[in-house]
Amino acid sequence: VSTADPARAALDARAVAWMREPAAAPDAARFGALALDLFAFQFAHCAPYRRFCEGRGTTPARVRDWTGIPPVPAGAFKELPLCCFPPERALKVFRTSGTATLARGALHLDTLEVYEASLLPSFRRHLLPDLAEGARARILVLAPPPDELPDSSLSHMFGVAVRELGDAGSGFLVKGGELDAATALAALADLERGGGGVAPLLVCGAAFAFVHLLDALAERGVSLRLPGSARVMETGGFKGRARERSQGELYAEIGARLGIPPARIANQYGMTELGSQFYDSVLSEPGAPRRKLSPPWARVRIVDPVTGAASRPGEVGAIVVFDLANTGSVLAIQTADLGRESAGGFEVIGREEGAEARGCSIAADELLGGATG
Amino acid sequence: VTPAEVEARLAAVREAGSRLRGRPAWVTLDALGGVLDAFRDPRSRWRAELESALPEATGFSRATVREGLSRALAGWSGDALRALVARELGGPAALEPGAPRAAVGFDATAVLLAGSIPMPTLLSMLAPLVLLSPVLVKPASRDPVTPRVVARAIAAADPVLGECVAIADVAGGDAPAMDALLAADCVVATGSDATIAQVAARVAAPRRLVAAGHRLSLAALGDGATRGDALAAVAEGLALDVALWDQQGCLSPIAVLVAGGTAAADRVAAALAAALEQAEKRWPRGRIDAAGAALFAHERAEAELRAAAGRSVAVLSGADQAWCVVREDDAVPRPVASNRFVRVAPVGNAGSITAAIAPLRRHLAGVAMAGFGADGMALAAALVRCGASRICAPGELQAPPLDWRHEGRGVLTPLARFADRETHEAG
Repeated sequence: VSTADPARAALDARAVAWMREPAAAPDAARFGALALDLFAFQFAHCAPYRRFCEGRGTTPARVRDWTGIPPVPAGAFKELPLCCFPPERALKVFRTSGTATLARGALHLDTLEVYEASLLPSFRRHLLPDLAEGARARILVLAPPPDELPDSSLSHMFGVAVRELGDAGSGFLVKGGELDAATALAALADLERGGGGVAPLLVCGAAFAFVHLLDALAERGVSLRLPGSARVMETGGFKGRARERSQGELYAEIGARLGIPPARIANQYGMTELGSQFYDSVLSEPGAPRRKLSPPWARVRIVDPVTGAASRPGEVGAIVVFDLANTGSVLAIQTADLGRESAGGFEVIGREEGAEARGCSIAADELLGGATG
Repeated sequence: VTPAEVEARLAAVREAGSRLRGRPAWVTLDALGGVLDAFRDPRSRWRAELESALPEATGFSRATVREGLSRALAGWSGDALRALVARELGGPAALEPGAPRAAVGFDATAVLLAGSIPMPTLLSMLAPLVLLSPVLVKPASRDPVTPRVVARAIAAADPVLGECVAIADVAGGDAPAMDALLAADCVVATGSDATIAQVAARVAAPRRLVAAGHRLSLAALGDGATRGDALAAVAEGLALDVALWDQQGCLSPIAVLVAGGTAAADRVAAALAAALEQAEKRWPRGRIDAAGAALFAHERAEAELRAAAGRSVAVLSGADQAWCVVREDDAVPRPVASNRFVRVAPVGNAGSITAAIAPLRRHLAGVAMAGFGADGMALAAALVRCGASRICAPGELQAPPLDWRHEGRGVLTPLARFADRETHEAG
């Protein structure tokens, strides 16, 4: 692990070793020990975070359990570099999509090794659980390739997945910022005819890009029946990029136009500020209730937003993520998203469909509208 | 309700509207003026019903509802309504058949309400009726109370007018019922940009859409308002503007821009924090949902982290997050947390205020300003160019006059078709 600080390198090595175990499993003691050691390192090496913790009366000496590690708000990544090394030493900076009005968040990384070690096992376990050892899948990506959008963590993630798990026919179907509809439709039609052989097929990308694909199919009056092995991963929202629709509407359209049922469509919950991702359980645990599952090296707490105390099981609260893949920044992130615990995982509670604001004041997400990045 | 029921109610109010247009317009205007006078009267049955039922239905505290209604409705009288008709239409004669400069309401108006603040509901229901256009009202899910109280008040004042008001509890996701509602000749819709876009896609010409999007308001303070007794009074007024309706209204200030630098902003933040603490005692904040609480906590923690990072940011907050004032070190737009969360931002001078507001111009409604002395007129003009449709003193934001040209347009004129007759010949 290529970091200048030996203590950090040791922490990275412990995290990566866990991530690379073929049968990496949840281990509460291991998670707790590494989380506390990582917190102590980040407290010592990230001055803003240290002062933030001290302002809350928290130091590593006082924290006995990983749940006591103070989370930083995700929005802070828009305001300042939160990293345990000089920002100018960053090897990679991932940025949030940004808006016309507000700043973009940035995650500074001085190594990609932990990030990539974390993403691959989760991607494989939750999206390609049936992929035989040494085999490759057909991965079609509805997102720009990493060389077109080098500061997009999503594009980077897809790039790594295609590189490590994709076959020769895998690739990116968004070019120059636009869906390459002709290529996409030709590739999908070929797969419908059995052109992909027996390799599992994964179509993945941003939700708004699926809207563009579905629109292209609709304009041509095309409805495909992709092979039974096909599955979809979608992530993110639509803001300012495509017609808004509910997840149910999107899944129904995917079913109608691609022939992939909702039971084979997994949503990914992730954010630029996190090194790990969280996937719906539908492909890794078919038949079980749909909920988001964490990799062993990440934990999610649902908390009362006012008190910070753990919400009762089933109760809606704010999502706080503790992610051991965030070795170079801050492992504990407080989101403004809502969720609730569900059967060993969690559900993300979106704004209630059709729910109205209490008044006529602008909502945060309206002011945030008009994505530019 | 089923689509067929919506169609039936729309047909019924259309029919009732023909009876309305068969009598002198001033009769209707007087009746509606009486309705406003009744809501304005704190001892009236209708005010009592609102003050009694709204806290439970909407989550606002009882004290907030009482104070909010009292201040907002104080100027909403029958006389104010007649003045509005005179100002925008030239008087009720314009509504009579054959008027040379006629203002003609639509055969029926669908009113799609949003949110839980009662005054927009009251005015949205009354305005089409002034133009003799009957209304079919879709209540907001967050306030099932106000439209029904207003409907009963209208019926009690004038049974003929009462037949021109119907309510249809149409769920937003019920597309067939919504289509039946949107078949009205005129559609008044309030809501988010996404809601408005959805409605607009379904209201084609010659039907008319009168839309009101979500908006935000700000305060701007000059040197004369940042010291001594003037500061105390301004802070008290701004705390009232923030506290009423728990900062959920388009006239609720989300930020205070202070000309004069960090020291002045510090004084304003401290005074506003003290005033919000007092406001919490008089008008406690109401229920806050999980999403609101999560955003509030996130934004407060985000500001604390910036302070910890060495930025010149100060966070002042009340117990249980009942309010929060963040003294920022710049005027960069940041997420709107609402629920009594105010950012106080220093700007260099009056000229810098318009630059700070510019990114928000598409969403701007009101600006409360004070302390600019001789520069005030020029600043007000600049704010209007930045999109503000209302400029007033601190403490007055939550009491807009009846004729406030919300969205920069008239109250009645968008609901009318105008016709000029230049000849007395029949054809």
